[in-house]
Amino acid sequence: MLHLKTAWSNIRRSPFQALAAVFVLAVTFFVTSILSILVYSSGQVLNYFETRPQVIAFLKEDTSSEVTATLQEKLKKDPRLKAVTYVSKEKALEIYKKATSDNPLLSELVSPSIFPASLEFSLVELGFADEVINELEKEEIVDQVGFTGVVGFGKESIQSIVDRLRNIIFYIKAGGTIFVATLLGTSFLVLLVIIGMRMTTRRTEVEILDLIGATPGFIRSPIVIEAILYSVFGVFLGWAACLILVLYSTPSIFSYFGEIPVLPRDTLSLLRLFGLVLVGEILVSLSLSLVGSVVAVSRARRRK
Amino acid sequence: MLEFIDVTKTYGGVKALEAISFKLENGEFVFVTGPSGAGKTTLLRLILRETLPDSGKILIDGEEITKLKSRKIPGLRQQIGVVFQDFKLLTERTIWENIEIALAVIGLSKNEWKARVAHVLTLVGLSERARFFPLQLSGGELQRASLARALVVNPKIILADEPTGNLDWETADSLMDLFEAINKEGKTIIMATHNKLIIDKMGKRVIKLNGGRLIDHKINHKKESKVKETEKEKENKVKVQI
Repeated sequence: MLHLKTAWSNIRRSPFQALAAVFVLAVTFFVTSILSILVYSSGQVLNYFETRPQVIAFLKEDTSSEVTATLQEKLKKDPRLKAVTYVSKEKALEIYKKATSDNPLLSELVSPSIFPASLEFSLVELGFADEVINELEKEEIVDQVGFTGVVGFGKESIQSIVDRLRNIIFYIKAGGTIFVATLLGTSFLVLLVIIGMRMTTRRTEVEILDLIGATPGFIRSPIVIEAILYSVFGVFLGWAACLILVLYSTPSIFSYFGEIPVLPRDTLSLLRLFGLVLVGEILVSLSLSLVGSVVAVSRARRRK
Repeated sequence: MLEFIDVTKTYGGVKALEAISFKLENGEFVFVTGPSGAGKTTLLRLILRETLPDSGKILIDGEEITKLKSRKIPGLRQQIGVVFQDFKLLTERTIWENIEIALAVIGLSKNEWKARVAHVLTLVGLSERARFFPLQLSGGELQRASLARALVVNPKIILADEPTGNLDWETADSLMDLFEAINKEGKTIIMATHNKLIIDKMGKRVIKLNGGRLIDHKINHKKESKVKETEKEKENKVKVQI
């Protein structure tokens, strides 16, 4: 409590130094928050494309449910495939009706019998597409094999979308890491300078405390607490600015990306995501302020 | 309790102390005297482990403090109360807070602070100045505050470096009465001073230094009447000069 009081009065005595430290840290952690959300969103986009049912095996008309179940089990055990689901004729009609809901005339004229039942799944890697399709075509109960990439994009184009997404994510991660590291380095130096200045102004006090038997930890504590306060305020400001920005732009983001879940749609999950970012940033900032203050104090004591 | 054995200390080739040996017992009141540059302050700094001797040993309660590891120095200093000539009070804290911080340094439970601070402030007669800042006090009051800070941690030894150096005779006299009362309660006091009037008045053991050497080591006898006389003569002289 005594150290907190000392730290707080030090901050009040030099408000501009404190503001400089807090703002530099706020900018750093604002950018960090934005990049964290960007990395999360791009991961979600990639995951969306990768986990969409990419291959549909349309089954022959008179296929029994036992044989279908056997093939489904076989596909489920295949390590190259994931999210294997069976779509019955009725379910296929339902999907069709949903897709044509804006034009009821189209769905009125169809019955379940015209839709074949199917087994749908996605691939662990799109590179497996050719061999999996070839193998499926040899199955007796399979009438036709459809690849969603063919519809609209073509085989090559869906692969290239995923590849391009992977590249973008790589650049976001690499560029973001370099950018954030540079900002963290700058924040660290600003903290060092400000704490160094604080040590210079407190030199007499440090000498007196030293003479009356204060341990280095006792002398260092208010400085460390001060650095922690800067970090926590900086993190909170940067994080809150990012949260407000994201909340403000959420409607536009959702309408632009449509069904692609770039951000969690329910508020609780969104806040949970931001909570995780906050916890991570506080841990980083605490390490930054602890190392910064300890380095600055030991440098100042060496100069004594 | 405290023993110097053949202690020598030099600063850049100049001998501040040379082959000093003496021994103090618990509860003693000792003056270290001598002209400026005699080595009085160096001797106190050695006891406080602010500096190390070039040779010789310094023992406190049988423990050689010259060999203490740096992490143990705060522990040693917490057992020694120091009264500085320039007070060394924290100017941005009140007198109460200055004394409190000494208790925080020794890690005493906060519940005990209030009673102990109030007690020492009463002892030094500063109860009514407790919430004042150092800049609002006179030299004598500052020195009392410095003494209160030294006393509050209940130290084994009290070191006083020219505590009356900046004070007028009357204030110095009352401060010395305070030191004597504290000594009577069993505290060991080592006071560096070149004020002969005070030494004569107190009638305590004296370690006399000159040029870093111990040139005399004796017990003075109280010369109160003479002191008063000398002081009167001094005051008269001043009056004449004015």
